[in-house]
Amino acid sequence: MNNFNTFKKLLKIATKQKAFLAVIAMLVIMLFNQTNFYTSYNLFDLMNSSSILMILAFGVTVVLVAGGVDLSIGGVMVVSGIVVIKLMNNNIPIWIAILCALLVGAVVGTINGYLTVYQKTEPFIITLGMGMLLTGVAQMITDAHPIPCTNPDFSKIANGKLFNTIPHLVIVMIIVFLVIHWVLRYTSFGRNCYAIGGDYEVAKYSGINVRRLKMATFVLCSVVAALGGVMLSSMLNSGSSTYGDTTALVVNCGVVVGGTSFAGGIGGVPQSAIGLLVFGVLQNGMNMLGIASYIQIICQGIVIAGIICLDCYGRKRRREAV
Amino acid sequence: MSEQLNGKKIIQIIFSEYLVLVGIAMLVLVTAILEPKFLSPQNLNNVMRQFGPLIMVALGMTFVIIGGFIDLSVAGMLSLIAVVTISLIEPLGQVPALLIGLCLGAFCGYLNSVLVVISGAMTQAEALFITYGMSVVYGGLALIFSGGSTKQMSGIKADTSLFKEIGSGNIGILSVSFVMFLGILVLLYVFQNKTFMGRAICLTGGNKTAAKLAGIPINRSIAFIYTISGFMTALGAIVLFSRVTTASPVIGKGYETNAILAVVVGGTTLVGGKGSVLRTVLGTLLVILMSNCLNLLGVSVYMQYIMKGAILILAIWLDNRKQL
Amino acid sequence: MEKKKQEVILSIKDVSKSFPGVKALDQVSIDVLRGTVHGVVGENGAGKSTLMKILSGVFQKESGTVIFDGETIKNTSPIQSMKSGLSIIYQELNLVNTMSVGENIYLGRFREMDGMRGTHTKAKELLESIGCTIDTYKLVSELSVSEKQMVEITKALSFDSKLIIMDEPSSSLTADEMKELVNIIHHLKEQGISIIYISHKLDEIFDFCDIVTVMRDGHVIDTKPTSAFTRSDMIAKMVGRTIENEYPERPHCVGETLLEVRSLNTNKLHDISFELKKGEILGLVGLVGAGRTEIVRAIFGADKVKGQQLFIDGKLVKINKPIDAKNAGMALVPEDRKLQGLVLPFSVEANISMASFEKMTKFGFLKRSTEKEIAERQVKALGVKTPSIKTKVKSLSGGNQQKCIVGRWLENNPRILILDEPTRGIDVGAKYEIYVLMKQIAESGGSVILISSELPEVLNMSNRVLTINEGRITGEFNPQAVTPDQIMEKALGLGKEELKS
Repeated sequence: MNNFNTFKKLLKIATKQKAFLAVIAMLVIMLFNQTNFYTSYNLFDLMNSSSILMILAFGVTVVLVAGGVDLSIGGVMVVSGIVVIKLMNNNIPIWIAILCALLVGAVVGTINGYLTVYQKTEPFIITLGMGMLLTGVAQMITDAHPIPCTNPDFSKIANGKLFNTIPHLVIVMIIVFLVIHWVLRYTSFGRNCYAIGGDYEVAKYSGINVRRLKMATFVLCSVVAALGGVMLSSMLNSGSSTYGDTTALVVNCGVVVGGTSFAGGIGGVPQSAIGLLVFGVLQNGMNMLGIASYIQIICQGIVIAGIICLDCYGRKRRREAV
Repeated sequence: MSEQLNGKKIIQIIFSEYLVLVGIAMLVLVTAILEPKFLSPQNLNNVMRQFGPLIMVALGMTFVIIGGFIDLSVAGMLSLIAVVTISLIEPLGQVPALLIGLCLGAFCGYLNSVLVVISGAMTQAEALFITYGMSVVYGGLALIFSGGSTKQMSGIKADTSLFKEIGSGNIGILSVSFVMFLGILVLLYVFQNKTFMGRAICLTGGNKTAAKLAGIPINRSIAFIYTISGFMTALGAIVLFSRVTTASPVIGKGYETNAILAVVVGGTTLVGGKGSVLRTVLGTLLVILMSNCLNLLGVSVYMQYIMKGAILILAIWLDNRKQL
Repeated sequence: MEKKKQEVILSIKDVSKSFPGVKALDQVSIDVLRGTVHGVVGENGAGKSTLMKILSGVFQKESGTVIFDGETIKNTSPIQSMKSGLSIIYQELNLVNTMSVGENIYLGRFREMDGMRGTHTKAKELLESIGCTIDTYKLVSELSVSEKQMVEITKALSFDSKLIIMDEPSSSLTADEMKELVNIIHHLKEQGISIIYISHKLDEIFDFCDIVTVMRDGHVIDTKPTSAFTRSDMIAKMVGRTIENEYPERPHCVGETLLEVRSLNTNKLHDISFELKKGEILGLVGLVGAGRTEIVRAIFGADKVKGQQLFIDGKLVKINKPIDAKNAGMALVPEDRKLQGLVLPFSVEANISMASFEKMTKFGFLKRSTEKEIAERQVKALGVKTPSIKTKVKSLSGGNQQKCIVGRWLENNPRILILDEPTRGIDVGAKYEIYVLMKQIAESGGSVILISSELPEVLNMSNRVLTINEGRITGEFNPQAVTPDQIMEKALGLGKEELKS
């Protein structure tokens, strides 16, 4: 009986931490293969290549925790990335250019928030449309060709290395992680996000300004996505519109894979980081193992569909148990 | 007083129910004035041919949305079916290739429904992400099957052949693909309005719990909607590659959002339960005409994305106001 | 002993409120004294909950005045009224399940509490002050119902409440938990906090309420000190005069066994076995959440079961899905009309014909004329008031909506009709019609299982009553032979407690 209970507990942990276990499993598999996976160079490369998606994911986490969803982040990312390059190429100082890019994010977030909160539209289709629109804007500005950056300092923001080892991009990612983690965990704003995601009506009756709060989550998410766009442009040293299409879906999936539910009220930034790591490690590991790129795409699709299905299945079980 | 109210009401009804007609009329009028070429037989024929692939996918999507779900996998599925079918024409012949293509579509759709049913996904958002994952899988399979290269239609020697007819044949003044569309539209309309399964799909979309408790087989409804969507996507793929006579492994890109756009703009609500294939025809017409008009007027193709996004947002917003 | 604090804390004067078709409150006036437990009793629909929702700011009153603690209250909101010292503990608990106990107590006041640590320390102190030892870091979803109630009370206390309204707090508590609640109520009273205690269990009222107000049909019938009431006096005032005319004569045509349920087990139900006879109306009595609805849902194939055997006419039938149950001659009118019963955006016709597809399809095609016939037949038979059968069901009144669902099933001539709260939220006339309908079904050889939270309804309509408590059948009664109290005792699970001790 006792054994059974421990087993049950383990099972419960396993279903809750499926993303974490998946990452561990992949890391173990890589241990038994003679590859360059476990070299500091590769590990930093892994971190570096996941960083931008992670930054976006941290922003999305706030929206999902508060019970929304945002599929426009890909569009926000490319548009703000292009805006920052365009402004700099017109001899506007870096910092002002970055601020303007973030402002673009804030404006988009405000529109998303207004439409979903005050007009009560379904957020995921509205933001999907917004993403489409913004991708179009980005393509129109760039004519679908990358715009090279003329300011030599800009590239250093992401590509410089602290102590010649840690890329700045990773540091920025960690800072965003810590800030949003702190906000969600230890501030009134963050806790209220969990409250409105957990039970909107109760939160409303408890005197939380639910509408303004939910709107703020959309703004925050878009500003963070804009920051991701700035970092992307800095990393590529150019403004490009090509990544706008699928980024939002991948990031949202990653966040859900980590354990932040569509239903809202649960999850957090650490979970999202792990969820995105699932994709990062999967891709990097498969690269190392020399798996053909098309197979990699299929694997990614299977992981997305599979884990989302598991997430739904868990909820179905809980529904039926009640 | 009451007459005034009636007049006001009629305008209100036109604006809330048939806004898309107003949109189409304005689009045609403005373009016809600015660019007389718009009304030339050649351009109209062109519009008719562009209409073919999207309407097929959109009609399938209509059922998914009426049933309360959504299907993003049509993008990957369309690519997969196009490259598979086009490659099979030479080794197997035209009819077997066509049949395999259609079966493959139905099978992929059915696979989606199995995932949705087993995982117990209830909301549109859940279905959205599951089918997105499947879209990536199908897209990956298309890349593997084609080796990443664009496939040419080959192995057709006769002057009159099935795929050539679908692609460029005419019956009277109508293109073959348009006639196909008309036939399928009638079938689907009858299916939705006159059959048990059609009604079951509407009821499932209207209220899953109530439908289940009243003995409606909701799992079978879900299987039907996704299978129909898959089958219609296959038809769309065939019409598309017949017209352009090539199939790249990313040929289906953008079809999912365009189909959703066409359905929503037509006036089928995303809430589920209410909608009609006829509305989707109007929605698709608007989307296709818009591309055509903007092309004729020399507006950049990127501007069209922007307009599509804006129209999607606007359509949902208007629909939502209607619900309130 | 209470003379020294005979000061009015809450004064309600001539408050009225109506909903479409119903006058929920009509010129209600009540005074609540400081430091007293003020009981409010009345049957369902008497207006108790409406009044309390007006006090807490969920509803707005139409006329009259409310003076709380010397201040006139106008258009308040829930949070304002809580901050002014008036808290309410609802029937359906108002906690965020995904958050911790401490955070729920101080929900929305995170900053005022100096963050996480302050929240939890203060919550712990407050919980301990009422003798509660729940870990403040525990998630609310892991608590039992009574623990959740303690958290709710603590939340009310955290606002320095001067008046706490408890809306049927005992409806889901066991006897031990009830004792605990009584202790807390006494404790609060000593601190000078007033309590409005809403219940329809007279034992509790006589146990610890100082003053009682009896309400009926939106009116205050009487307000007196509890000691001035006798039990029969109070009941008479609660139910009023029309009790005989409210229900038709119950049918008397019980025959042999029609349905037998053997060892039904699910996560919430334990070893449920019972029989249903032909021509019988069987009432299931229990508290909300006791397992009444779960039993009928399991029989109907709507929920997963661990194991059950169903016999109809002595023959074993397998029911996995609602459609199996339908084919076996069962019909379920579910608890929640709007969420589980109707497809709201659809027409009356589509809603009525929903369960009769066998009749109106041929080779998978719908016969529209048959569908129309079905809908018109049921609309006529049940007297559904609708402009046409094409009208959207959304626009009908509650009673007529309910009739649509009943009509949907009657079209199948079900042998076993299960009615889960069939009269909730519908007017008296429609109620009577539904009772008559039940009677007709029983008399024509069918059987009815009736679930209702309104005890008088069950007692007046059923031939036999089963009491359910915590997923078990605790007793079987002939409602004509025993008193309501005896039945309530079993339904509350008191018998089981006695067995334990």
